[in-house]
Amino acid sequence: MAKLSQITQRMEAAVAKFLLLAFRNVFRNRRRTLMTLFMVGGGVAGLLLVGGFFSSMFWGLREHTINSGLGHLQIFTADHFNRDEVRVLDTGIDNWRQVAASVQTGGHVRGVAPRIEFYGMVSNGDKSSVFMGTAVDPAAEASLGFFPARFESGRELDRKPTGEVEALIGVGLAKSMNVKVGDGLTVLAMTSDGALNGVDVQIVGIVDNGVAEMDARYLRITLASAQRLLQSDRITNLVVGLDKTENTDQVAAELTPRLSGLPQQLVLKKWIDLATYYKQVRSLFSTIFVFLGAIVFFMVLMSSVNTLLMTMFERTREIGTMLAMGTPRTWIIALFMFEATLIGVFGAIVGVLSGNLLGVLVNRSGLHLPPPPGFTTPMSFHVLHVPSLMIGSSLLVIVSLALASIFPAVRASRLRIAEALSHV
Amino acid sequence: MEEIVSVEEVSRKFPLDNNPTNHPSHSFVSALSEASVRVTAGEFLAISGPSGSGKTTLLNLIGCIDQPTSGRILVDGVDTSKLKPGSMATLRREKIGFVFQTFNLIPVFTAAENVEYPLLIQGVSSRERRLRVAEALDSVGLSARAQQRPDLLSGGERQRVAVARAIVHRPSLVLADEPTANLDTHNATQLIDLMHGLNRSLGLTFIFSTHDARLLEHTERIVRLCDGQVVSDNSTNGGSRG
Repeated sequence: MAKLSQITQRMEAAVAKFLLLAFRNVFRNRRRTLMTLFMVGGGVAGLLLVGGFFSSMFWGLREHTINSGLGHLQIFTADHFNRDEVRVLDTGIDNWRQVAASVQTGGHVRGVAPRIEFYGMVSNGDKSSVFMGTAVDPAAEASLGFFPARFESGRELDRKPTGEVEALIGVGLAKSMNVKVGDGLTVLAMTSDGALNGVDVQIVGIVDNGVAEMDARYLRITLASAQRLLQSDRITNLVVGLDKTENTDQVAAELTPRLSGLPQQLVLKKWIDLATYYKQVRSLFSTIFVFLGAIVFFMVLMSSVNTLLMTMFERTREIGTMLAMGTPRTWIIALFMFEATLIGVFGAIVGVLSGNLLGVLVNRSGLHLPPPPGFTTPMSFHVLHVPSLMIGSSLLVIVSLALASIFPAVRASRLRIAEALSHV
Repeated sequence: MEEIVSVEEVSRKFPLDNNPTNHPSHSFVSALSEASVRVTAGEFLAISGPSGSGKTTLLNLIGCIDQPTSGRILVDGVDTSKLKPGSMATLRREKIGFVFQTFNLIPVFTAAENVEYPLLIQGVSSRERRLRVAEALDSVGLSARAQQRPDLLSGGERQRVAVARAIVHRPSLVLADEPTANLDTHNATQLIDLMHGLNRSLGLTFIFSTHDARLLEHTERIVRLCDGQVVSDNSTNGGSRG
């Protein structure tokens, strides 16, 4: 046992010395090492900037999606997803006030807002158009910070409604119906009994959600107005707002058993289950990021192979000497791989530092990008500093360099000693 | 006396990359032809001959860094032709010390670290390494320059570091290929005296290739090669051995 520990100690000392040799070799040709560090660091910095921008975009889109009305959690009846889309309240929640009160007592819950998602026709007397309507309790929505994205003109629905039925419509719908704030429209929808019912509304605001397709169908009225229109006390869903998006899973786990004891079978959906557009965007940009990562990986790999081969040729005689003295060939492979890995580590440090510095500068510059397809508002070029990205990008280049060193290292270890010693 | 090296009818042929005549007899060049040499422990032996006579080839074969085309070589009783590459490396590591014409020190290591290297790859403990490095550097008179890197040492000093590196692991045999070729007369003389001194004081066997008359003057036994063949093997007192 003591002998084994002695051997281990000796090996450790030898490895430490070999690491020192590798470290010094890295700085032997400073100019070349500097160029390699720039290349590796540039790759890492590039990935951090792009990844940081994508993360910022994902974060922005996530919070925008949640705060523009999706909420962190939504409660539906179990039959909701098999419902008839014409008579939407047939599968609505009956005792929603009781459910809302129960949910409201949960930890991290900021508020609960009842909703009716409904469909129908809107008419100005001359022309009709299809709408996708949302009926809300303006006070509950406001308490959760859920507002339409941007008012083109007008104001939000009155929190204490008077006799007049107020409505917000999207810019696209307003344009197609040729109406403005203060004008009236007739909203038609199918009641729970299957009868067509209509209600006259006054437009109090025209909103721009940033998505052209959505704005062409957008209609928002108060919950009371919609219940009168649809002849029902039910709602389609309850929207739950939390203090932080990160608490979604925890609160969902806490609420699920609480909902199971109610007379009506209810289901809880997390925001991510309902945010189809967010998931599509994230999937697309994640694929682009993986593709960029692969490009950086191969760029670093190929150029490093070249640099390391050059290093090997320059040190042929030295390697020959080491082999002549009886250095095991595996040690030569390890030495080259140590050196490449060290360059990877230094390159990653340079990349992480420069990437973060550039990120700070970009964030301070206030740069904006043109609106993405389907959007109407410019996008802020903001970069997030994401630790997992820093670790991932660093590992990527370190592994890339370690892999790049295999071929030169094996070649160095297989040099014919006599030929290597006479190498000029 | 114990025989440390036995070269028995060894030939070494190298293939030619370009063979203009395409004739089989022209497809290789013979660097060494049926050479035989026996060396006993503690000898100070020179291999001499003009350029291209096969001196380096013979040293490479004895040093197990090349393999003969035919014949066999025994180093310290071990038939090297039967060894696998890993065992050859072990033999070199444990039993042979090398001194090269161009010193071949590791440039990023200090003199002490260069001398320490053979002990490092043998897995000698750090305490033992420190002692033996100090001893080896002292024996070549370079204790004061131990922490200098090779680029700050003179040619003579570098070669003395190389000698210290070759003897630090107490090998059975030290091989030196043209050790004075890159040195001026003063440094060459110092190196010859040093090697001679180590041969006498430590009983180390030295085999070196040279055509340096200064070195040959101090050598008891000279093996002369010409066109890959041993043409004479005699001592300075005139006794022929082969």
